[in-house]
Amino acid sequence: MALEIEQFLRTDRLPHIWCPGCGLGIITGAFLRAILDLGLTRENTVVVSGIGCSSRAAGYLNLNTVHTIHGRALPVATGIKMARPDFTVIVLTGDGDGAAIGGNHLIHSCRRNIDLTCILFNNQIYGMTGGQFSPTMDPGGNATTAPYGQLEPSFDLCRLAEAAGATFVARGTAAGVRQIEKIIKQGVQHPGFAFIEAVVPCPTEYGRRNKPAKAVDMLEEERKRSISVSKAAKLSPEELEGKIVTGVLFQDVERREFQSTYAETVARVKDAELARRLAEGAGE
Amino acid sequence: MVDGTTPSPIGSDQAPTSTPSSAQWEGLLFGREYVEVRFGGSGGQGVILMGVILATAATLDHHRVVQTESYGPEARGGYSRSDVIISSEPVDYPELERAHLLVALSQLAASQYIGTLRNDGIFIYDLEKVVEPPVFKGITFAIPFTEMALEETGRTQTTNILALGAVTSITGLVSVESLRKAVTGRVPAGTEEINNRALIRGLGIDPAEWQNGGARAYGLPVDR
Amino acid sequence: MESWHGHLLKERVDQSSLLIQGNRACVLGALDAGVRFYAGYPITPSSEIMEAMAVELPRIGGVFVQMEDEIASICACIGASLTGEVAMTATSGPGFSLMQEALGYAIMVQAPLVVVDVMRSGPSTGRPTAPSQADVMQARWGTHGDHPAIVLAASNVADMYRLTMAAVRFALRFRTPVTLLADQVVGQMRESFSEELLGRYRLTSGDFDFTPGYLHPDLAREVHLPHVLGSGEYPHVTGLFHDETGFPTNDPEKTDKFLRELYNKVAHHRDELCLYDVKNEGRGRVCIVAYGSCARSARAAWRLADQEGLSVEVLHLYTLFPLPVEIVQKVARRVEFMIIPELNLGQYAHEVRKMAEQWTTVIGIGKTDGTLITPREILDRIAELVGKYESV
Repeated sequence: MALEIEQFLRTDRLPHIWCPGCGLGIITGAFLRAILDLGLTRENTVVVSGIGCSSRAAGYLNLNTVHTIHGRALPVATGIKMARPDFTVIVLTGDGDGAAIGGNHLIHSCRRNIDLTCILFNNQIYGMTGGQFSPTMDPGGNATTAPYGQLEPSFDLCRLAEAAGATFVARGTAAGVRQIEKIIKQGVQHPGFAFIEAVVPCPTEYGRRNKPAKAVDMLEEERKRSISVSKAAKLSPEELEGKIVTGVLFQDVERREFQSTYAETVARVKDAELARRLAEGAGE
Repeated sequence: MVDGTTPSPIGSDQAPTSTPSSAQWEGLLFGREYVEVRFGGSGGQGVILMGVILATAATLDHHRVVQTESYGPEARGGYSRSDVIISSEPVDYPELERAHLLVALSQLAASQYIGTLRNDGIFIYDLEKVVEPPVFKGITFAIPFTEMALEETGRTQTTNILALGAVTSITGLVSVESLRKAVTGRVPAGTEEINNRALIRGLGIDPAEWQNGGARAYGLPVDR
Repeated sequence: MESWHGHLLKERVDQSSLLIQGNRACVLGALDAGVRFYAGYPITPSSEIMEAMAVELPRIGGVFVQMEDEIASICACIGASLTGEVAMTATSGPGFSLMQEALGYAIMVQAPLVVVDVMRSGPSTGRPTAPSQADVMQARWGTHGDHPAIVLAASNVADMYRLTMAAVRFALRFRTPVTLLADQVVGQMRESFSEELLGRYRLTSGDFDFTPGYLHPDLAREVHLPHVLGSGEYPHVTGLFHDETGFPTNDPEKTDKFLRELYNKVAHHRDELCLYDVKNEGRGRVCIVAYGSCARSARAAWRLADQEGLSVEVLHLYTLFPLPVEIVQKVARRVEFMIIPELNLGQYAHEVRKMAEQWTTVIGIGKTDGTLITPREILDRIAELVGKYESV
């Protein structure tokens, strides 16, 4: 397995920039095992990322990789998918990149239900720029730009994605690596916009200002707070307070996917055009 | 001039041999080599389309044409104007300097644009919409376009095409054949028939009847 | 006429005549040049381009997407461009501002694409339905960093057709975004579109083959890394400074080399990129240097001057950037005054001044009231300068 995975890695680009204890590598590993399992070809797989720690993943993957600008991975991916529907296009983004600066693109990609897979690494903080709060930080959390505690409420990104029209919505954690690997596989296979939130620890920037502080403790905390969708269904809202609900939260395979709908439209318009020309030809 | 093109006077290519109302009438602007026209009204009246259709017809008559437009941010109710330059030579400067013809479908357009009209120009306006016509000493035609359109087609939306017919009848700027082609090609699909009826009614007016106060000045009924 | 666009005009845009709107002529030029991808966001006075693309592209199997904003629009174009598609978007000032960061990315990753900016007056929302040339400097320096820029300016409906084609050609050959500037008058005007018009407005040094479907993929020699996704090379595309492998580098020497090469790939090809037309060459003490709709005023002023016994030269620029240094300096050496009428407060006059003030006096006529500069206004200024009756 390890050797097979290596074909997807640009080993000459390693070691990576991520800090010890960071959750990004765990999810990236799960992602690689997932696409290996799915049998995706390197030629037709494109990974698009934005800016931030999570988005640096693209550089380490031996696929077609596009490291774009802050927040704009999804529209770039949309252009790629529309131009080359045969490509499997996966977006790697973070909570700052995908939910703050790129939030508008996220909701519109969900609404469009275009066949992309978006894996959003959520560590509640801007790691690369030194620990400012992101829109997913829980109220009361500490960050360099929330020195007296985070005042704003946080986004529940899965509920946002579902409401905006994504047809596959799931959540996993770095503590539940088998589960997220399976989720990613399902998401990539899903014909429509798949939104996957990957909850990851950032001990360097989040941990140093919040509790728990250490990487192992953060992972342990994630594991303890995690609860599967099926178990969560039996609990009251009060009992679910503070829990991380994991698994596939929502899936709809009926709703029309954008790219294929566009292709059908093109076929219909071209047919009508041909019929019109034939009719004109017959009339002459 | 520079390009060595052969000038073709306005209306000359396919000029109607007669107008519906007068065997001698060729139109007040027939034969000119350069004419500036302004259509003015409020958004939704189809003023821009009037300019586009006139410009299309003039192009079909093999003239060199530039049509520009200017409108307010509102799709309905704001100001709207459409300018057409018809020339025997290619046109460099695309804006009007002094209009030869102003067609106003609203009070605001009449008051606002009368200043761009030459003293020897032609001023045509909708009798009902321009309640207080601005002072103008040149040739004036006041015609109840809206009422005529309503009577002819039951739709005020055809007022612009009816007016265009009347304008052509008065000025001879474009040939009737080209105008009919342009109307059919440019009006929204499905409205060709009704607009054609409006056009024919407009083409059929007797210019003399509406000139300088026309019917109203003589205490005649507003339409024939 | 039939040879290169007649069938398109008749079949696809305008059944009734060859009177065509500037924005639609732009679409024809784009389609004829091979543009098959359009992503955009509607904005006055450019929306007709998008609307025509929405009709035409599905009919020929191309891709049209209306995105959520201008940032997404240009990003989708970049994505398509990276797969080898010829992509285009169109906008106006406020949308062009939103595109700037991504435009820099396209320059950095050498992704060819065409951006049409139908200018309105600004700043901010300004006057959406009034003409302006206020985005000249935004087109040159709108995105951050030292970067190359190819900027063309259309003055009539025929330009909207052929300069869109030229923009596609330059974008593909130099692998960089190309901006085509138009204004509300040029974009929304309708004009009889004929070969005569093309002949009247010559493109000096523009040796174009206006054949439908032509592409011009031969790359300028300075271009490196024309990576295409899915080519089997597994490229890494990044907006970070990168070396010849495409991967990020912090090496000062490599960084400097990369930036200079990026800049020079355009600067070194001015002879090919600078399109212009000189009228009344070498006659007169004054040259009007003009672009876009002001070039029309300039031409009319030249004819008017002629009638009044005053000889005036006109330098009509179709390429604003890279700076047409050679022709501007050539003309500057033989005239006493260079007059630059523009619908802004002198954005391009400053550029001309930099190029020409060693030899001639450069005077800008700026107008920002939302109307065009009239031929008479230009002529009055010239008369003031040279003394009208003295020269008769």
